[in-house]
Amino acid sequence: MGLLAPWFLAGLAALGVPVFVHLLRKHVTTPRPVSSLMFFERGIQSSTRQQRLRYLLLFALRTALLLLVVLAFAEPFVLRPATGASDHELLIVLDDSFSMQAGTRFADAKQQALALLAVKPPSQKAQVIGLGGQLEVLTQPIADEAQLRSALESIRLGDGHAGFGELRRIIRPMAETAERPIDLHLFSDMQRTAMPANFAELMLPPNATLVLHDAAKGTVLPNWTVERVSAPAELADPKDPKRSRVQAVVAGFDTPAAEKTVSLVVNGKPIATHKVNVPADGRAVVEFAPIDVGYGFNRCEVRIEAGDAFPADDASLFVIRRADPERVLFVHASSDSRSASYFSAALAAAGAGSFLLQAVIAGQTTDLDPSKFSFVVLSDTGPLPSIFEHTLAQYVAKGGGVLIALGTNAGRRARIPLWGADVKDVHDYARIGPAAATVSQVDFTHPALAQEQPGHDNGGWAETKFFYAASVDPGQARVAARLSDGTPLLLDKQSGEGHVLLFTSGLENLTNNLPLHPLFVAFIDKTARYLSGHERLSGSQLVDSFVQLRSAAAPAGEVANVEVIDPDGRRPLSLSEARKVQTFRLQRAGFYHVRFANGQDAVIGVNPDRRESDLQPIPQDVQQLWSGNNAGGMPTETTVLDDVKYRRVNLWWYVMLLALVVALAEATLASRYMGTQREEA
Amino acid sequence: MQRFLDPGVLAGITSLDLLAKTVVDGFVAGLHRSPDFGFSQEFAEYRAYSPGDDLRHVDWNLFARTERCYLKRYRGETSSQVTVLLDASNSMQYTSGPPSKMDYARFIAASLFYLAIRNQRDAAGLIVFDDEVRDYIRPSTRQGQLMRLLAGLERAEPHARTDYGKPLRHFQALLHRRGIVVLISDFYEEPEAIVRIIEPLRFHGNDVVLFHILDPQEIKPELKGPAILVDLETDREMEVIPEYTKTIYRTKMRTHIEQLRSRTREAGMDYHLLVSDQPLDTALREYLSLRHAGN
Repeated sequence: MGLLAPWFLAGLAALGVPVFVHLLRKHVTTPRPVSSLMFFERGIQSSTRQQRLRYLLLFALRTALLLLVVLAFAEPFVLRPATGASDHELLIVLDDSFSMQAGTRFADAKQQALALLAVKPPSQKAQVIGLGGQLEVLTQPIADEAQLRSALESIRLGDGHAGFGELRRIIRPMAETAERPIDLHLFSDMQRTAMPANFAELMLPPNATLVLHDAAKGTVLPNWTVERVSAPAELADPKDPKRSRVQAVVAGFDTPAAEKTVSLVVNGKPIATHKVNVPADGRAVVEFAPIDVGYGFNRCEVRIEAGDAFPADDASLFVIRRADPERVLFVHASSDSRSASYFSAALAAAGAGSFLLQAVIAGQTTDLDPSKFSFVVLSDTGPLPSIFEHTLAQYVAKGGGVLIALGTNAGRRARIPLWGADVKDVHDYARIGPAAATVSQVDFTHPALAQEQPGHDNGGWAETKFFYAASVDPGQARVAARLSDGTPLLLDKQSGEGHVLLFTSGLENLTNNLPLHPLFVAFIDKTARYLSGHERLSGSQLVDSFVQLRSAAAPAGEVANVEVIDPDGRRPLSLSEARKVQTFRLQRAGFYHVRFANGQDAVIGVNPDRRESDLQPIPQDVQQLWSGNNAGGMPTETTVLDDVKYRRVNLWWYVMLLALVVALAEATLASRYMGTQREEA
Repeated sequence: MQRFLDPGVLAGITSLDLLAKTVVDGFVAGLHRSPDFGFSQEFAEYRAYSPGDDLRHVDWNLFARTERCYLKRYRGETSSQVTVLLDASNSMQYTSGPPSKMDYARFIAASLFYLAIRNQRDAAGLIVFDDEVRDYIRPSTRQGQLMRLLAGLERAEPHARTDYGKPLRHFQALLHRRGIVVLISDFYEEPEAIVRIIEPLRFHGNDVVLFHILDPQEIKPELKGPAILVDLETDREMEVIPEYTKTIYRTKMRTHIEQLRSRTREAGMDYHLLVSDQPLDTALREYLSLRHAGN
């Protein structure tokens, strides 16, 4: 503590004023008459004890008032730690992603975080965040160490993939609203694959200081993993040499060349084992064929024997569902035979026996029950029998899938069966404009068009030419692809629990040349899987992906429960959630058993993101750049805690406030005394 | 009726005549309700006739029955002489609140005169003194005596200082006939000296009563801080601290009063301490008591 203007302390001499008023002034008294002084004796207050101050409290208040005013002018101040102490808000981020399972990384990181919490000043506020597949803010900014410790202890290892880019996304609003600077302490293995593609996405706001705590201590563990597995989600014939095969890619990260034993395990029993030579830091492919699996859902995994320092990623899970071939109803106009041929050929090439096509002329569909088919295709049918259209609508509402293709008949009959909207216009590109339209926009996230890495030719769609297309108002439907003139080419509309896909051109080679391209097979294959629902009934997913359990809006009174059983056999959804929830996040690695709202069952193998298997840390220079410390080594916990600067906090305002209170008390007390004196007078 | 004896109420009455009437009437009205007090035309005794006695007082009924001549005597028929010696020194003007000691003394004297002259038909006189005899009204029962006495009281203003020694000679010269002598003063003098000066009056056969008038503040003075006190008689100043007035002064005053009471009683005189905020009936009761005793 000190004084900015100590010369003002000379004003303390004014304290003599109240002393004079209270101590010396008392001698001035008015003589009082008495009958006789016969019994009186002279008495003078000369001793210190006798010279008691009159109105002691008033004297004290007046003295205090003067003292405080003088002090305020002298501008007292105190020194407060400027950095690293309670003026900063502490943000503790603990990485609980899948890669932290390697070695003792997670335990070490948690220990370091707890140690930091232990040396935190009691008044400093802190916040605990778990960084996994999703950022979890576990506490508000609080100073209670017990709660913070409890929050840290509650963080468990997850199977998600951490992304440091997420940190910036959550820190930015915090820093904007925070009144004090933020000290962000990140306890992680600093995995390189957690870095975003653009370094700018890592930059923190100016009032946030990043301190990195490397739980891996810069060490790199050699790690082999099953990087990718290609296996049929549906299998009709195990002896089919084209489909009954599982192909796995074994990858090594920072590994020497080694021979690894890879096994295929089905329902807990190893059915095949292969040895494979994996080159240093390389990949090797191993194939198991044929696959002997039983009917129903088969829980499979490809496992590397004789593991490494990170055994958690040595297996990859997937599910193969064996079922008899399912029938597909193909409804076409009597004059159209080409579309059935092309579609049947493409389906046969892609599905390899999983589907059996049944082609029917539109007029003969009256007695057909769509529910007996995996999905239905309406190829330029024109009007359908009303009974069939009605049963088809019910079929879709209960979860069925329908693909509608509009051929040349669209120009003559505007109404589109089952779609709920009419054709606005038709574009005959061969006659009215350019010879053909191309596909300019493709939504590769749509299941029917999905491609992991589409090429520059729009995933092959740029090569196709469309001569004839109908124009339809998309309304609420999702537009998955558009032609070069903006005409929607593929629309997806949810109807009840099912989907209706509308292809605004034909499935034959008259309206477009798509059937002549290899892309047609892939398109039909994915469309078939999407509409039949096989896409979501089996196979494998990544941790933190979502499963759609029901459509967005279920009719009132027809709400059906969904059911999810996690890898531990528990039901993570409560009863109320089971009636309402639409999607479910697959948080854990393992087999999930799901029952959808439409009554279908599915078993899904969930695997951690394989980017977590690459334990290579972020280079030191990048870490330094990120933490904003380019000059020397990494800023550590110790340096931050020791680097305590002080700032002056001026107290004159508080002193003046106190003086005001004292002045009010003095005025009140003095008026009371003066009132008494007047009364006495 | 008690309120008519309250000094606070009486202080608002300017006329001493009215004041005395109010006090005495209220006092007598109180007496009639009390069986302990009786006076006036009450039968007292028979006395054998002796030559020179007034024949009007002979009980002729008794003479007829017994052929003996007896006089019938009544208590109220005895006549007394009451003389009030009023101290009019400066110290008597002290007051801590109405009435002042002087006024209180006037009230008492006026009430006594009224009671004596109107009710008892006694002769009453007044001597006002300080260090000299300032005023003298000879005891008498003549018409207009009460008015003269009250006028004398009105004239009696505090003046000079008290000196019991000098006026005493005059007292003895002025008081020819024995009777009741009422001395009203604040007695700021040594008890021994007071008794020594007044004692001769007693020797002459007078019933001497001392009414000691004091203000409440003189008995228990309250000082909030050190103060300079001024003697009203000598103008001498003295600085006094509150602690003294709370302790030693009160002890001294109490001792003074006790000594005065004991010394006067030893000398055959009556002593009464009258505080100026007390009712006046004490003084009147004392007067009647003395008169009832035979004066």
